[in-house]
Amino acid sequence: MDTLIVSLLNGVIYGLLLFMVSAGLTLVFGMMGVLNFAHASFYMLGAYFAYALQGTLGFWGAVVVSPLLVGLIGVIVERFVLRRVHRYGHGHELLLTFGLSIIIAELVKLCFGNFPVNYRVPASLDFAAFAVGNSDYPFYRVLMGAVAIAMFVLIFLLLTRTRVGIVVRSAIYKPRMAEALGHNVPAVFMGVFGVGAALAGLAGAVAGAFYTTNPNMAIDLGVVVFVVVVVGGLGSLSGAMLASLLIGVVTSLAVGVDASLADLLGLIGARAWAERIGGLFTLKLSSLAATIPFALMLVVLLVRPGGLLGEKA
Amino acid sequence: MRGRGGLGALGTVGVALLLALPWILSQGLLNASIQMLIAALFACAYNLLAGQAGMLSFGHAAYFGVGAFATVHAMNAFGGSGLLPTPLMPLAGALAGLIFGAIAGWFATQRTGAYFAMITLAIAELLHALAPHFKGLFGGEGGVSSTRMPSMGVTFGSTTQMYYLVLAWVLASLLALYLYTLTPLGRLTLGLRENSHRLRFLGYDVHKLSVLVFSISAMFSGIAGSLQVINNEAANYIVFDAGQSTAVVLNTYIGGARVFLGPAFGAALMTFFGYAVSDLTQSWLLYQGILFALVMMFAPSGLAGLFGMPDRLRRRFGTAAVVPFFALALASIVLLTAGTVFLVELLQRILSQDYRALAAGAPPWPPISLFGRQWSPAAAVTWLLPAAGVACGAATMLLARHKLALLEGRQEDTAAEPRAIEGERTPA
Amino acid sequence: MSEAILTVRGLRKSFGQHEIIRGVNLDLLADERHALIGPNGAGKSTVFHLISGDLAPSAGQIVFAGKRIDGKPPQQINRMGLARSFQVTNIFPGLTVFENVRLAVMRAHGLQYSFWSFIDRNAKVREHTESLLEQVRLQQRASAVAGEMAYSEQRSLEIALALASDPEVILLDEPMAGMSREETAYTADLIRTVTRGRALLIVEHDMEVVFQISDRISVLVYGEVIATGKPDEIRNNAAVKEAYLGEEVSR
Repeated sequence: MDTLIVSLLNGVIYGLLLFMVSAGLTLVFGMMGVLNFAHASFYMLGAYFAYALQGTLGFWGAVVVSPLLVGLIGVIVERFVLRRVHRYGHGHELLLTFGLSIIIAELVKLCFGNFPVNYRVPASLDFAAFAVGNSDYPFYRVLMGAVAIAMFVLIFLLLTRTRVGIVVRSAIYKPRMAEALGHNVPAVFMGVFGVGAALAGLAGAVAGAFYTTNPNMAIDLGVVVFVVVVVGGLGSLSGAMLASLLIGVVTSLAVGVDASLADLLGLIGARAWAERIGGLFTLKLSSLAATIPFALMLVVLLVRPGGLLGEKA
Repeated sequence: MRGRGGLGALGTVGVALLLALPWILSQGLLNASIQMLIAALFACAYNLLAGQAGMLSFGHAAYFGVGAFATVHAMNAFGGSGLLPTPLMPLAGALAGLIFGAIAGWFATQRTGAYFAMITLAIAELLHALAPHFKGLFGGEGGVSSTRMPSMGVTFGSTTQMYYLVLAWVLASLLALYLYTLTPLGRLTLGLRENSHRLRFLGYDVHKLSVLVFSISAMFSGIAGSLQVINNEAANYIVFDAGQSTAVVLNTYIGGARVFLGPAFGAALMTFFGYAVSDLTQSWLLYQGILFALVMMFAPSGLAGLFGMPDRLRRRFGTAAVVPFFALALASIVLLTAGTVFLVELLQRILSQDYRALAAGAPPWPPISLFGRQWSPAAAVTWLLPAAGVACGAATMLLARHKLALLEGRQEDTAAEPRAIEGERTPA
Repeated sequence: MSEAILTVRGLRKSFGQHEIIRGVNLDLLADERHALIGPNGAGKSTVFHLISGDLAPSAGQIVFAGKRIDGKPPQQINRMGLARSFQVTNIFPGLTVFENVRLAVMRAHGLQYSFWSFIDRNAKVREHTESLLEQVRLQQRASAVAGEMAYSEQRSLEIALALASDPEVILLDEPMAGMSREETAYTADLIRTVTRGRALLIVEHDMEVVFQISDRISVLVYGEVIATGKPDEIRNNAAVKEAYLGEEVSR
């Protein structure tokens, strides 16, 4: 029972982390109609910058400054790189962001090496928040979840309650009209892109200390984030939250399950037969945990091609 | 037509050259040529889906890999004779690619645009994650190996024989892909890219069409994977890596997706450079990424699309006017490339773990060996040199563009007003 | 007269809270030219989307040649013999005019999945394409890139695409938008010729054209048909005048 609760908690927090990264992606896609392949790269940069800065600024300083740096890079990328290719269409822009993701990953390898770096949870934060049965639940995980929730609330309030938010939403929905009304839509695009990058950077700065920080983290997380948006529907914050939590919880629960199809068949006395066949039947669910998001995506595509919350195809 | 005749002559010369390569090149280069041919086929197969049908797949390595594994198992099963003699082995790859492509395509084409791209990526990742667990099929860390068996009187033992086998299959496949573009389905493929929505209202089942096109692209990708396995006599699940999918995307668009042989050209170029410089630098992928980004930003129809430019400009402005422009453009490209490569290689060495350990103490830091000379990281010249290269290169590029703008402006001006007669004073 | 080939009963469509189409009833007879007019925003294009399968209705029935087509996918409806043109030009911009029309023609010759023959060798398809181009007066522009043509030329291409499948029912959505007087007159004539023996439902704002070529007119206001009848009846209908036509037409 305890392991179940811990798995559940871990899953929720991993899901919230996924949401932190996919929220920015969703906003930018809804605004520009372009999927930013380099979005997970901003997540990676957030972790690496925080790692590089924590020597001089301390952990909290690094966690605050790193997203700002990443946001700045986002702004520069939008203004000087992406804006140039708007006119060639969405596919072209998508390809360019793909190229950017490669460049960023290689630059990270160049500067920091092609191996994980020692970005760790600082000792001051490395304690137990509460106990679940016999084991302690680490405070840092709770902190990550709290940051994600705070971020969600903040974006939601910002978009719905402030003037800036209204302008941004109108620019997302009808950019030409917003421009006709005198709003500086290109500046809004630049700003939202930068904020989206900064959010991903914040997620990286916070999560990189807990999970590993290495040059592949962009690809590893990026693919799962893409699954989140296919399942939840791009452009929908609530869809992203739902899908993130779903994938987070299911993956986490699966990791703790050492059973396989053979065990299941053991219930009807066919275990020995299944074990003789081997292959798929003896594969433990825990080893397959990483593939569950993809399987989920394929199932959703079969059953609800428009995504869980029915976005336009 | 003059254009067609010229192209036909070029094609014949090209094929003749390809046929003659084993007499011209060393074994090492011949092996590299085999890789170039395979990459070229993979890129053209990819472009059927991406450039012609407008569906950007970021996980195409899946179909290459499926073809590879199907072939290695077929090689072990048939041993060079029976249903699939060695020269016909790529058919196994084709079939596997076709079937898996149809299944994957059915899912992926349920959505379009960015969604489609993400689904293709996820399918490849799924395969990549599952493969290690199915040792029977994918052979674990060591992969699955086989041997080329003699067949039809040929041993297929030498590189030259392999080269001709690969050349035959690649040329046949490229021809098939080209002829495809002349068929109704080939034209409909372009329709899918241009306006799949309207196709529905013209009575076409767009989903079925998309699955068909996807499958054909996957089939030829499977042939490419198959050829690689026959050449290497081994298949490993590392083929499902993101790296392979990335490479084909880079190759295709650097070459140019709108010209039929553009992707083949890009693949051949990148594979050749990869072969030539991969021992010299660890940052080859970085250079490729930068080249790709620059092409997407400044030469959107790819390098192949640039081929027509010198001729077009020459015809518009005359040779004398255009030569300075090309000289400047060429000079700037050389300077920018040299400066960037120097800088990247310098940083690569300074930031490496080994050097950091060496330089752990206080200055003076040990010099870095690069391009046959020693460079001290503390010396200004070490940094000024590449900086100057990049700066001069950028300045030269701006000058070149200015020249071009002048040429274009002057053409408009001469059309509008008569030029002042030389020597005559213009009224104040 | 003849029977109704297309009947619409109680058609409704809502987007979220907003009901755009609020119970439309319409009969299209097998060989009539029927105009659908109404103020901007009345929902005329939406009605076209619902009939042609671009949108599924929230309620109501659409029956074409005795079969229900509401909610069916567009390709099925087209194959049953209904074709449409679009108000917002919906062509294949990167392809030539000839290619555009040929894509539309190929299906009528059963060539949708064929990859074993060369399309250039198919004389029937070529002749069919060329004759369509001649009809809409685009034969000189056959090798022009469709996306680079003048707006009115693109509108002509739209019409050609709709005609290619030789449909029993044609829906034309503002086919003459952006055309000059001469082009409008020519196109009106073309429409009259080509729709002989077929059913036409046309949305148009040019009232002269509407009254010239229509056998009957339906007036759509705020998602409902407020009147249907012969042109003279509509011209003198008080409710229509009040809602839409104003003083001008009574001149």
